[in-house]
Amino acid sequence: MKLLKIGISGIRGIVGETITPELVMNFACAFGTYLDSKRVLIARDTRISGPMLHSACLSALISSGCEVLDLGICPAPILQYMVKRLKAKGAISISAGHNDIKWNALTFINQEGTYLSTFQGEEVLDIYHLEKYHKASWGRLGKLESIDNYQDIYFKNLGKFLDVEAIKKSELKIVIDPCNGAGAKIIDSFCKSLQTELVPINNEQNGYFPHDPEPRPRNAQQVASIIKAVKADVGFLLNSDASRVSLVSENGETLSEEYTLPLIANYYSKKKPGPIITNHSSSRMIEDVARETNCPVIKTKVGQSYVIQSMINEEGVIAGEGSGGIAIAEFQPAFDGFLAMGLILETIARRKKKISQLIQDLPKYHIVKEKIYCPPTKIHSVVNEVKKVYRDRKIDSSDGIKVEEKSGWVQVRTSATEPMIRIISEDKSKERAQQRAEEVMQFISPLVK
Amino acid sequence: MMRVTSLKISISGVRGIVGESLTPQLLAFFAQAYGTYLGGGAIIVGQDSRTSGIMVKNAVLSGLLSVGCQPVEVGICPIPSFQVFTKQAKARGGIFVTASHNPKEWNGLKFISQEGLFLNYHQTEEFLDIYHQGEFSLVEAEKYRIPKSKKNPTAPHLKKLLSYFKTGLISKRKFKVAIDCANGAGAVLAPQFLQNLGCETISINCVPDGSFAHHPEPVPENIAQLCQTVIENEANVGFAQDADADRLAVVNEKGEPLGEESTLLLASKHVLSKNPGPVVINLSTSQAMDDITRSFNVPLIRTKIGEINVVEQILAQQGKTAIGGEGNGGVILPEIHPCRDSFTAMGLILEYMASSGHTISELQAEIPEYHLIKDKIIGTQEQAYYLIRQLKRKYQNKGEISLLDGLKIQFEDHWFHIRPSNTEPIIRLIAEAKSHEKAKRIVSQLKNEISGIIKKKS
Repeated sequence: MKLLKIGISGIRGIVGETITPELVMNFACAFGTYLDSKRVLIARDTRISGPMLHSACLSALISSGCEVLDLGICPAPILQYMVKRLKAKGAISISAGHNDIKWNALTFINQEGTYLSTFQGEEVLDIYHLEKYHKASWGRLGKLESIDNYQDIYFKNLGKFLDVEAIKKSELKIVIDPCNGAGAKIIDSFCKSLQTELVPINNEQNGYFPHDPEPRPRNAQQVASIIKAVKADVGFLLNSDASRVSLVSENGETLSEEYTLPLIANYYSKKKPGPIITNHSSSRMIEDVARETNCPVIKTKVGQSYVIQSMINEEGVIAGEGSGGIAIAEFQPAFDGFLAMGLILETIARRKKKISQLIQDLPKYHIVKEKIYCPPTKIHSVVNEVKKVYRDRKIDSSDGIKVEEKSGWVQVRTSATEPMIRIISEDKSKERAQQRAEEVMQFISPLVK
Repeated sequence: MMRVTSLKISISGVRGIVGESLTPQLLAFFAQAYGTYLGGGAIIVGQDSRTSGIMVKNAVLSGLLSVGCQPVEVGICPIPSFQVFTKQAKARGGIFVTASHNPKEWNGLKFISQEGLFLNYHQTEEFLDIYHQGEFSLVEAEKYRIPKSKKNPTAPHLKKLLSYFKTGLISKRKFKVAIDCANGAGAVLAPQFLQNLGCETISINCVPDGSFAHHPEPVPENIAQLCQTVIENEANVGFAQDADADRLAVVNEKGEPLGEESTLLLASKHVLSKNPGPVVINLSTSQAMDDITRSFNVPLIRTKIGEINVVEQILAQQGKTAIGGEGNGGVILPEIHPCRDSFTAMGLILEYMASSGHTISELQAEIPEYHLIKDKIIGTQEQAYYLIRQLKRKYQNKGEISLLDGLKIQFEDHWFHIRPSNTEPIIRLIAEAKSHEKAKRIVSQLKNEISGIIKKKS
């Protein structure tokens, strides 16, 4: 089975299998055609397959007559931030985020700097399927320009948004592991702009991932092992495009990525109350946090595109997912790892509390995340079958199937990026959470064989 | 029905029109096929100065990376320098982005072997089989190589040129040279090279930006500006390069273009006077070369049209060949590199002027006088071969017939040659005679005969 996911906001697959120059060019041609040959930004993470996709996109965008501004290796949130500032009609981000090195992906970004919405994405797909690519004649080919002073602009504005004075006064020391991804080196500028002392790990833009670039406890061992020794206040893990963050406490406790959103919401929604947007798979912590400040919680399907679109449409203040992606509407409509790190530092500084104490303040849940391979041809019917397990219960079908109980919930849904079924179970009691997940796993296993 | 395609895939590589046939996808397929053919490794990527080069180059990089090759980018570079560089860099091969002398809207790829040569007939066939079968050795991400770039790719070529020529002898004469690079790739080396030979240089169209102030084929009708420059500056000689700097045309000190046929004749006379040996040229090159080789008592070998055919024959002579080339201004000096090289041609002509003490017009006067006329009609390969069959029947026993490449008939003191082009959907007609009028008469008679044959067929 070849792995390729064509979605509304882009394509994702395994390099050399499904991700080929031709496929990348076809999609970039379709996107260039969709943009009416206007200005477009492009950036990539550090993956070693990146230059192949990058060259393929450049060639295709130039051939469709787009003026291309090349940001080189650049985190997705900074690319997205620059779209409006550079007056571009769109952007392509080359990164497979949390996936391992075998993968790569294109994400299409609109002129607002957010992932394409369903309508926009479908238009690009129509052009792709019809193969109606605009081919500029030799005299109307797009121009290519390299842009390199964008970091300063971004960090200057991030500094204006955050309470830099408070952060500075706290004289914080932090560990960041950007996993040799797009955040590498750029974290130096981040810490400099917040006048925070940095202990970096895996801080080379070389694309060799020392562990999977997914911010979660199992990948946090390196940070956890040094954090006490260097006496840092907090540790951060970034994914390869620096859109998602997970934390390690000052004691070296590796914290679930589920904490990032409630931790920030618990601080920020008191400063600026308003709707909080999340997906159906995120921890119940956010609901408890929102209740305290009377903020409504709005839930969408999983994925940055859905969550951000909802934030725009519902005038949400904060949006985020349990996977560690956070957006603040007032800053930019995009998941932003630097903003998330900055807000956590601000929280520590303003609350004058250690990160372990801030975690203590949050309600306690246990979340279990499992995944199981399923052939894409029957993935939806398998998920549907699971309803039989909960014959007499109220089933929420907004995203896969979800059953809520008093002390917890369980959700079974298809992955947006891989041919996998995900099972997420959360409960006040660890045993109950595990038991519910196992129940579903046992039911599904024979069906996917 | 006449089919004219905007894409040509041939022994000379791929050429097409940007915005029509020459798409990023097609280019990436060719790069993938070539990378697969070479089995990975370092592959040098260079380009002439065409504005579409950036689109073409990126498609090539993407294709090469996907099959596990390591592209080494050298940027804008004359093609002879590129060939020398590819060989010296010990790379697996090279891809050069160019459409040679075709107009601006064209671009394409030339494929270079490990030895710095164009692919021969058999190599082209093997490589095109891979392209057509579409089975490329895509590699997984872990096996990707990191692309590199190298500066100053002309250095090895320049070094060879300067060690070959008697620079002291040339420098002493302090020649004033007008050079027209046609805004092509030659501009990155020509002024420096001429300066190293001690020449005072007047450069025109010397920014390699692909703007092509005139059509980039160095034939007399395209180089009026250079002729004017020679006159205004009282230069000793004028040189015109094509877009990828493999061909050269010469203008004498009176501002008169010699015609591109003269370049190889002058260069050959000089080389043979130093080092007599066999000369290799193609079928369409002037019969003045027969007279010249006869006077030096050296063999003359004629080959099919196409640079690689001349080069292959030169290599087959195992180092004995003194000089080779094509009548279109392509001079090949195996001692420097077996490829057409406008820099070698410039050096030889300057050295000839310096050692003989003659002006270019005096040297020109010593060349046997022939007049060559090139014409073309639109037509496909199939139509060309139909015409050739008919004409062959008609001229049986009237002259010496060669079917090596199309049809060439040599008469007492004139000849004509008809063949399909390798690079464009046209049929070329070439005739040479003692006088311009006679050559013209031969071509117009040939055209009449052709329209007669076509009428009869339809």
